[in-house]
This record gives sequence, structure tokens and C-alpha cells, in this order.
Amino acid sequence: MNLTETDIVLFLAGVAVMLFFSRAIGEFLKKFKQPIVLGEILAGIILGPTILGALFPSLTNNFISNSGSVNIAFQGITLLAVVMLLLVSGLEVDLSLVARQGKAASLISVMGVVFPFALGFGAAWFFPNVLGITSNENHLIFALFVGTALSITALPVVARTLMDLNIFKTEIGFLIIASAMLNDLVGWIIFSVILAMMRGNASGIEFGSTMLMLGAFIVLTLLVGRKIFNFILPKFEKVTTYPGGVLNLILTLGFLGAAFSEWIGVHAIFGAFIVGIAIGDSVHLKEETREIIQQFVTNIFAPLFFVSIGLRVNFIQNFDLGIVLIFLVLAFVGKVVGCGLGAYWGGMNKEDSLAIGFGMNSRGAMEIVLGTLAFQAGLIQEKVFVALIIMALVTSLSSAPAMSYFLKRSKKKLTFKDLLRKDMIIFPEASSKELIIRELCEFVSAKSKLNKEKVFEEVWKRELQFSTGLANHLAIPHARLKIQSPIITIAVCRNGIEFESLDAKDAKIVILLLTPETEPELQLKLLADISKNFHSIDTAEEICKLQTTEEVISKFKQLS
Amino acid sequence: MAFKKIGLAVSFSPNSRALLFEAKRLSEMFNAELVLIHIGDFSEELKTELTAMIKEAGIEESSYKLLWREGDVEDSILEFCSTEKIDLLVAGALIKENFLKYYIGSIARTLMREAPCSVLLLTQPSVERAPFKKICVSVDFTSLSELAAKKAYEISQLINAHELFFIREFQLPALATTVYDSGSKEEAQAMRHTWLDEEKNKMELFVRELNLVDADVKTICLYGKQGWEASNWVNENKGDLFVIPSPARKPKLLDRIFQHDWEFVFRQLPCSLLIVKPENATE
Repeated sequence: MNLTETDIVLFLAGVAVMLFFSRAIGEFLKKFKQPIVLGEILAGIILGPTILGALFPSLTNNFISNSGSVNIAFQGITLLAVVMLLLVSGLEVDLSLVARQGKAASLISVMGVVFPFALGFGAAWFFPNVLGITSNENHLIFALFVGTALSITALPVVARTLMDLNIFKTEIGFLIIASAMLNDLVGWIIFSVILAMMRGNASGIEFGSTMLMLGAFIVLTLLVGRKIFNFILPKFEKVTTYPGGVLNLILTLGFLGAAFSEWIGVHAIFGAFIVGIAIGDSVHLKEETREIIQQFVTNIFAPLFFVSIGLRVNFIQNFDLGIVLIFLVLAFVGKVVGCGLGAYWGGMNKEDSLAIGFGMNSRGAMEIVLGTLAFQAGLIQEKVFVALIIMALVTSLSSAPAMSYFLKRSKKKLTFKDLLRKDMIIFPEASSKELIIRELCEFVSAKSKLNKEKVFEEVWKRELQFSTGLANHLAIPHARLKIQSPIITIAVCRNGIEFESLDAKDAKIVILLLTPETEPELQLKLLADISKNFHSIDTAEEICKLQTTEEVISKFKQLS
Repeated sequence: MAFKKIGLAVSFSPNSRALLFEAKRLSEMFNAELVLIHIGDFSEELKTELTAMIKEAGIEESSYKLLWREGDVEDSILEFCSTEKIDLLVAGALIKENFLKYYIGSIARTLMREAPCSVLLLTQPSVERAPFKKICVSVDFTSLSELAAKKAYEISQLINAHELFFIREFQLPALATTVYDSGSKEEAQAMRHTWLDEEKNKMELFVRELNLVDADVKTICLYGKQGWEASNWVNENKGDLFVIPSPARKPKLLDRIFQHDWEFVFRQLPCSLLIVKPENATE
């Protein structure tokens, strides 16, 4: 079967229209800080049977085509897209991070899979009719699928959210990323087992042998393949042109893995994902290479895949509020409770645990891929498919606001501005360095029920090593003590105090910084954080002119 | 002093002979006691042979203590470290023939992973050795890395090492995925730079807070896989002593399979390695 000239025109024009609309809507939504994938799906809904198709049936029929050969061409390109999408997702899964993060990460990801899975499986097993399944044939597989669909977390959305909330490079950020990575791996393994079960039912290939091959493939790729790739990569980069050579190698291996997993009876994407993990682990893989491959896959191929989703189904006809609501409730309860409990048992406080729960709740693109594959395989009907897509979008969109809400309430204050309190500001008259430090220590000891002699002893011991007077009228005497969380006390000294500062200027703002002795890095972080607020010499002078603690606080909050 | 009691396990190999010279130099440098440990069958002949070897290395009889025991080599050495309050255990690593890779014997490997005290792993132990010139320390801002930095500083002062480098490495996994979903490549790169600056600031403060008098410390911040990047830097810049804080916990199977942090260093030594343990660990 060849493509006729008309077919070629339709196919290419179709690709152009899909790319253009997905980007246009994506960029528009970006202005409102919405993820681009939302735009890509909306583009599909608009171009597909839901809107354009309903308004101008003949146009859509011709355009996003029903000619057999064009359809096959589209299928090919979306398959390529989804395989590459999973390949790059795998690239970013760093299993050593999971090993390093240890108990808390394992608890969060295990609970983040087990709890939603059990919830989804239970709901689908006991109430299949409510979730829209009528036949008994695939009852077990359907229940397994719903469980898996609820236990997926999308790493890219999570990473993006952490970046937007500016907590990427924090302990909690690392923990969420590590958990999401492990979660991804486990989720995809379960899903491929389900797909293999379905195919086994249909084609009669023995399920056991597929599982054996799948296990061998995972183990060999992750243990042996990973090492071989790491060994080859630097040598390969030497003899080929960068980045063409290495990109070619990655894609070649990715497609080979995909072909292999399809051949053994598990979906192609799984092979690509596992190969991606093995490749991404290499210490020789440059950050730049990762970014390049992410860019061309996610900006060119991924949109075609996501737009094609909207082309398959009529979203309005198949919108069933009941099913959508049930999926939403199951999704939120499953992830937030599951991951939240995992985090809580792993030693996090209540607010942080909830923040982690909501962070892990975003399902984004991965859920959509999963739902689409299940839909293609005939495992789920249109209504459930539509509900899954909506659930994926809602969980992703709600993730950032919910996380930031709970992080703000978290007791863990880690930045200078978080730690500011208006009852911790004094305007002393003291005239020497020792007197002012003593006064600050006494003040903070009375407020925080500490031993004032001990506090002064530690702070003064540090001060005697060399002065904590910095530039621009700022001094930060500090010490590490047996306390739970950092404490900041500010003295505004209008007259200025000789502090042996670096720039020989008097200190006018003296900030006493006490940090837990178990967290040396936090002390450095806060010292850096405070001093960066005083890069101008006028800052301290302006604060000295203020009369009340409220004014001082609001001035500090304005600094950047 | 950096170390008060140095331990060395000796056998009758040529490698051991060279290590005796090394241990002598170290004990003189640190003004530390020397404890020599031999694990194996005991006989008067063997003892005479061993003492002759020790004498040959120029170690006077009054300046060391010899412990002899029959039993499991690794367990016995580890036990002696605790009972004798040894705070630095010395071991050797050889360059493998035809490979640019150091060979660490299985005993040394166990000791560096499990010893309760600091371990100094010397590449190519030799009768004569030029003192270290370029000492590099890996810094992760823990109290233990403060201790490691101080030890490195003390050593550099003792031997007049010209260069002292503090290296900080960090990586944000999954950063590349943020270029998707409305993030731009420039944004990801800009964030990386901001974070590097943040680490540089912290490094400067870290060095300042340590108050290392008369030291010219240079700080290096690297973006990449922890353990591997620093090790690679030390290798490329020809450092000759790499000081690292000891891993916080014993590596498990998963850590070995999915290498991270010091497993990279242990796997392929860039140069001599000093693994620093908390000081009260043996008490």
C-alpha cells in the first residue's frame, strides 16, 4: 500500500496543523503559568471530533484523515513519539539517587505505589459497573490497570513544579524527585506486566515465558548494559561528531530496546524506558546532551502524540461526570494519603508530608501515555479514557498550589525571610561589640528558653577566632547549638559599633544567628542568605532610620 | 596533631616492605605512635624475619609496638583498630600492569570500607616518596567534611604542600526534564549557574569559618555526579592526595550496583586517598 500524492499532502499538512496549534495554544497557556502539555491536549480536542469534527464533520474527516494509509503513517509517527518520550523519561531516572536518599524515599515511593494501587484495584474489583466496565472478561486486568493508573507519578511535571516553587535544590526537593523516579520505574513495570497479560489472553503466548524474558531484559539492561554503555560512551564520543554521534547512539539503542520488548510481548515503550535508565546513568553523559535530546523529543515529537489523543475521542460525548469525579477522588486520596503517610513514617513533619503527597500527586504526561495505550489496547472504554485524561490534568495543575500552601505552613523555616519575627528585633544602646553580643544572647535566651551563659560562651568563642563583622555595616555573630531549628535575632544599632569589620566600617545591623549543631550546611546557607541582602551600603543606613519593629520587618522583606 | 596512633598491617610481601618505609615517614611526620599488626601463624623464625624487615625500614625497636595474632585477617585488624585506639590505618594500592588503574587488594578494600578509624590508602607504596604537593578535599558541608578539611590543612602545613583545593560537587537530577513543560533551555542553564554561585558562596564561607591560618585554599565547584566529578577533577589536575569524609553508612548491595558518591572513588583511585572518620569513632 503506497501513499498517494493526496495522502502525502494530507499527512504533511496534518502534521503542520497539529504542530502549529499545539504550540500556539501551549504558548498562550504558558502566559497563565499552565503546562504546555495542557495546550497540546486542548489542540487535539479542538481539532478532533469534539469541536471541529462536530462543527464541520466533512473537513475533519478529510483533514485529520480517515484514509487507511494516512492513518498508518500517523500511527507510525505517534509510536515513534511515545517511544522517544519514554526513552527520555528513562534518561532522567537516576537510581543511585534513590539508593542515596535511603529510607524516606523508599517509603514514599513504596507507599505511593501500594496505597493508590490497592485503592484503585479495590474500587475497580468490587464496583466495576460504577467505573464503566460491563463485560466480565477482562475484569481482573481492568482492576489491575486502574490500580496502576492511580499509582503513576510524572517526573517531568514534578521537576517543573519544584523548580517553579524554588525548592528544587532542597532536601525535600531531592526526596520528592528520588521518590518519583522509583515510583515511575515500579509503575511502568506493573503496567507492562498487565499489557503482557492482555496480549497473552488474546494471542495465547505463554504469560510465564514473557515474564521471564521481561525479568531477564530488565536485569541485563540495568546491570550489564548500563556498564557497557558507560564504558563505550567516552570512546564513541571521541570518534564521532558531537552531538550528532551520541544522539544517534542513544536513539539507536532506545529503538532497539523498544523493538526487543515489543517482540517479547511487552509494549515497546517499556524497552525504551529501561534502556533510557541504563543510558542516563552513565557519568559520561553530558548535561547538555540530556537537554538537547529532551528538547527535540518534547518539542517536536511529544506534541504530535499528545495532539493525537484529542483526535481519537469525542471528549464532550464521552464526558461522564460520575466517572471523572470517582477517578479524581481516588487519585487524590490514593497519592496524598499514600505518599504523605510514607513521608510521615520516614520522619517528616505533617505539613511537609502533605506537601510531598500533593507533589507526588501530579500525573501529567505519563498518565496520559498510560491511558492512551490502555485505550488502544481495548482495555478501557472512551468514558474511562476521558476521565483518566482529565484526572491527569487536574492532578498536575493542582500540585503546585497545594504544595506551596503546605510548605508555607511547614515548621521548617530555612531562609532568612522565613525566620524573621517582629518580636526578635531590638534597638539597643550598647556601645561595644562584647556588650551588644551579650545583650543579644540574653534577649534570645529569655525568648527561647536557652541557657544565656552557654549561648554567649559559644558565640563569643567564635567571635574571638576572628570578627564576624562583614561589609556595609553588617555583622553576623553566630554559633551552632543544641537547638531544633535556627533562630535569628536582630539588633538595630543607630550609633554604630566598632566590630573590626572587613571594610573597617561600624556595624549598625547586628544579626545573631543560632543554628542547630547537627546542620552545619544550614548555617552556611543562612549566612550567605543574610549577607546577600546587604550588597548596598545604604541598606543598613535606611533601616537605622526606621522607628518600629514592623517597619524594620517590612523593609527586610522588601530586600532582595 | 592530625593523628596520634598509626596502624599498619604487615605481611612478608615486597609491598609490605615498602609500606613500612611509608609508615615510618608518617609516624615521624605526625609525631605519632606506630602499631604494626601481623596476622598469621606464629613462629620464632618468622618473628625474627619480620623484625629484621622492620629494622631495615629504619624503625627503631623502641618506637613501635608489634601485635601478632592467628586468625581471620580482616576481623583481627578491625578489632585491633578499636582496642588499640588506632586513629589512622595505612594501606597500599598498586598500579595494575597494563591498566591505568590501581589495584586494591581485597583486605585493603574491606579495611577502607569498614575500619572504625581514618584510613590512608597510598598508591604505589615506595621506599622513597616525594611529599604530597597538591592536596584536594571533597567538601559536602557536613561536620565530618569540616574535620576532613582540617586534617588536610594540618597535613599541608606539616609537609609544606603548595596547593590545597576544596572541591564541592553537586547535581540536580531530573533538571533536564524541566526544559519540557514550558521551561526553556536558557532557564535551566541559568538556574544551574545560580545554584553554582550559591555553592561558591557557601564554599567561601566554609573556608572562612574554618579559620585556616596561613593557608591558600582554592575552592572548586563542580556540577555533576557526586564522587565521580571530584575524583575525575583530582585525576585530571594531578592531585596527589585526595581527602574525603567517610561514607555515612556502610554500603549495601544496592549502593554497589548503582554506584554513587565514594563508590566511584573506591572503584578507580585518582591518587592516594585519605578517608576521614569522626574522631571519637574508636573510643
